[in-house]
Parts: sequence; structure tokens; C-alpha cells
Amino acid sequence: MKSWQRHLNKLRFVTLGLVFALLVLLPFLHLYQTYVAAHAYDLLTPGEKLVYDTMEALTAPFTDDPEQDLDAVKGTTWSGSLFGLKLSDPLAVLGQSAAALDVSWPFVLTALIPVLATVLLGRFFCGWICPATLLYELNDNFAAWLRKAGLPVARRRLDRRVKYLVLAAGLVISMVTGTAVFAAVYPPAIIGREIYYAVAVGGFGAGAVFFLLTILFDLMVSRRGFCRYVCPGGALYSLLGRFRALRIRRDVTQCNDCAKCNVVCQFGLDPWHDDFGQECNNCTACIAVCPTDALAFTLHLKDIPFQGPGHLGHAYRRRQEAGAVHEEAA
Amino acid sequence: MKRREFCRTAAGTGLAALFPGAVRAARHRPSLRFLRPPGALPEDEYLATCIRCGQCGEVCPNRCIKFFRFENGLASLDTPYIIPREQGCILCMKCTQACPTGALQPVEAQLGPIINRVRMGKARVDENLCLSYQGKTCGVCYRACPLQDVAIRVGRLEQPHVLEPCVGCGLCERSCIQIPQAIRIIPDHERRIA
Repeated sequence: MKSWQRHLNKLRFVTLGLVFALLVLLPFLHLYQTYVAAHAYDLLTPGEKLVYDTMEALTAPFTDDPEQDLDAVKGTTWSGSLFGLKLSDPLAVLGQSAAALDVSWPFVLTALIPVLATVLLGRFFCGWICPATLLYELNDNFAAWLRKAGLPVARRRLDRRVKYLVLAAGLVISMVTGTAVFAAVYPPAIIGREIYYAVAVGGFGAGAVFFLLTILFDLMVSRRGFCRYVCPGGALYSLLGRFRALRIRRDVTQCNDCAKCNVVCQFGLDPWHDDFGQECNNCTACIAVCPTDALAFTLHLKDIPFQGPGHLGHAYRRRQEAGAVHEEAA
Repeated sequence: MKRREFCRTAAGTGLAALFPGAVRAARHRPSLRFLRPPGALPEDEYLATCIRCGQCGEVCPNRCIKFFRFENGLASLDTPYIIPREQGCILCMKCTQACPTGALQPVEAQLGPIINRVRMGKARVDENLCLSYQGKTCGVCYRACPLQDVAIRVGRLEQPHVLEPCVGCGLCERSCIQIPQAIRIIPDHERRIA
């Protein structure tokens, strides 16, 4: 019997797609609101009329007063409001507190729910919500394709601790310059903003260039390199999720040492040897790929140390046979 | 990176580490005539408090809030601004309520709070350009003002007089039919609220 958990990876892609689609939809909804507020349908250009008509068709079943009601969902994953509940990225709160050298409690509290969720679920934001992750994963699939075609792309391994340095350096720079610098270099913040610029303001901004550079970095230098080695948000989430309650563990009695989990893990972790650590973003790709259902979510605060080779694999059987021979000889 | 650029960056970083106050003061060079959205903190505090989430622009029903790229220096990157000649603020105060950080302080959309707590700038009439002062009755700015008779009053031949409560929304500048426009907003980046 296969476990239901192997379907989680598909669910995750649906979630990532929905978040991204929402970020694309929101600027159009904003445009629609402004057109409604202007009371001048006749004066719209054909393109604007198309936006108006499409958004009207989409929202008509849910609202009679789009100008007011569509304010319910605003913002991006960096900071936004959902039906009156204001939510912010913990990195936004940390960076802003450093820049302002002051703690503004109403703002800090907007990060409370994300922080609690991260303490329980680890780096799940990176795997399940981050709008950049969708693009980075597609980019990684493209890299795998190139690799199959014989191009040696994205092979380097760097030091994972670099991103903690980036986080610390960013905080220091924020304090010195009095500007929240993370907003300019944090892909999920960039993506939400740039989509809004492209749709509602006209043209991409500076962040789009930076994001393209990170895509190239992932493609040419290191697999998912930005998330693994540079991203300050990833660093913060890793630290917060270090003792997460929900983590993937390997059932050594089911493992057959096929090592597919290690190949599929885009963060270059080592599930095969029970090494997940704080960097694991609970993306469930390894659960989905495991042919014997040895990997599954568990509720534990720590990883198990290496449990030895999987009991369904050659190495374990050989060792067992050798052990049996020893016992007979004795 | 060229060596000169590297040296400049290194020197800049060193200076910033030694004299953070000086860098904070020097990096804002007012070169453009722009307004911050209503309720904004004084410029330096504003830059330190804003997280560049863009929600102010996303709730603006008048689409007057735009976002800086590099035009106003690195510190202003992705921060919101209003160019009154392009589109003025209609004082709906939605952006002040959407701002999660308090970089735009929440203001109620009522006459009293708006007059007391919004300081984007102040309108100024150039009497050499203004049609009404040249004997051609106009009065467009007066009719565009959302705080009519509070922030602006007209005298003989509809000659506009800007009064103390003007908050600098820019609707007069937007509506001025003279080119170059005779009434303009002088931005107030200190934004000291009395």
C-alpha cells in the first residue's frame, strides 16, 4: 500500500501555482477597481475594456461593490492583507526593525502567524508558498534537461553557511544606511512587486534584472544556488525552523538504498543518510520519489542520526549474511 | 568590477561604518519635485520605516502613486511617490490604512484629521503665470480643490489665495490649464506635523 503522502508534492505545485496566479491576478483586480472608481467605461481603450470585462466576469459572482470589496485581498507575500488580517514576511519585520532601529509592535505582530508556522513546519514557506520557488524549480528542471543533453551546468557546491552571513550583513547594512535593503534582494518580495509594476504601472523595475541574475546563477553555478547559499529569508526561516515539529524521516526497514531521494532533493540534502537538517523545506519531493515508501512526515523535534543502510538494500543483506556466517563459525 | 569602482565602494562602506549619521544625512539629495503619499513620516524616518511592499499603490483608486526606480538615488528604490502634474491625490486615505509599517501613518478620511495630519506639501501660485492675475477669469484650481474654501479661497476675478490648511494633494496643479502651470505644489519633505 502506497502512502497518501506521496501526493503531497503535486499538492505543493498546485499551491505554488495558486500563489503565483494570485500575484498576477491582484494587479489586474486593482486596475479593474480603478476603472470602476472612474465611472468612465466608455473612455477606456480596447485593452482596458478587455481587462474590465474579464475581471467583471471573474468577480461578479462574489461582489456587488468591487470598488470596496476587492480591497479584501491586497499585497504580496512580502506583506499583504487577507480579509482584514495583515500578514508580513518575518524578514520584512526583522529588516525594518534594524533599519528603523525601533520596534513597531503593530507591524511586528503581522509576522506572528508566519513565525509560529515556521517554528512548527520549518522552512515550508520556501517550498510551498514562495512565488520565486515556482520559477526556480522550473529553472532547475530546465537545468536537468541541459544536463541530460550533455552540458555540465550547475555543478558547484558552495558553503551553506554563506546565507547566514548574508542575513547578518544585510541587517548591519540596514542599520547603517537606515534602509530596509532586504526588499531589494529578496526574490519573493521582488516577484510580487515586479508583477505589479509590469501589469499596473508599466514595465519591469530594477528587481527583475536582479531576479534574472539569480536564475542564471542557479543555472550556471549551483543547483538552486540562490535559495541554498544566498537567500537571507531562507537563512531566517532555516534558523526559525531548526527545531520544527514536522519533519521527514527515513524508515530504515523500508529503505532499499536506491538514493533517488538524494538525486531529487534540489537543496542537495542527504535524506538517504538521514541528514535533513534545518535547511529542509519540507517540499516532499523525496517522499514522492521514494519507491518503497520509506520516507514520511513525522512529528519529532530532531532528525535521527544515521541509521545505517536500508534493510531492503544489498549492503544491509550482505552484512546480515556475513553476520550469520560469523555466528555459525562461532 | 573596475578597480576605481571597487575603491569607491570600499571607501563608501568604510565611511558608512565610521559615520553612519553623515551617510544617513547625505544620501537624500532632493533633486526631483515629488510628493510622498499622505501621512508619510519625515523623509529620513520614512525611508527607514518603509518596507517597499507597494500596498499603498495597490489600493490607490486614483492610480496617482507610482514607484521610484533609480531616479531618486538608491535609498528611494521602489518607494512610492506622487507627481501632482501627472495625477493628484484625492485624499481618500486608503494608502495610509493599507500601510503595514506606519511609514504612512493612518489617517481618517475626514476633514479634521486630514488637515491636521497630512503634510505632503503646499500649493504656491505664480502670479505672473496665473490667468486670473492676468485679468482672464479662470478659477479652475479653486474648483478642483477637495478642501475648497478651507485650503484655497478666490478673490476678485477668481484670483486664488492658498491658505494655511493646504495639505498639498496636487489636484490644483493637475487641473491648472496654464502651461507651464501657474499653481504648483512645493513638497514638504520635513513633514513636521504641528
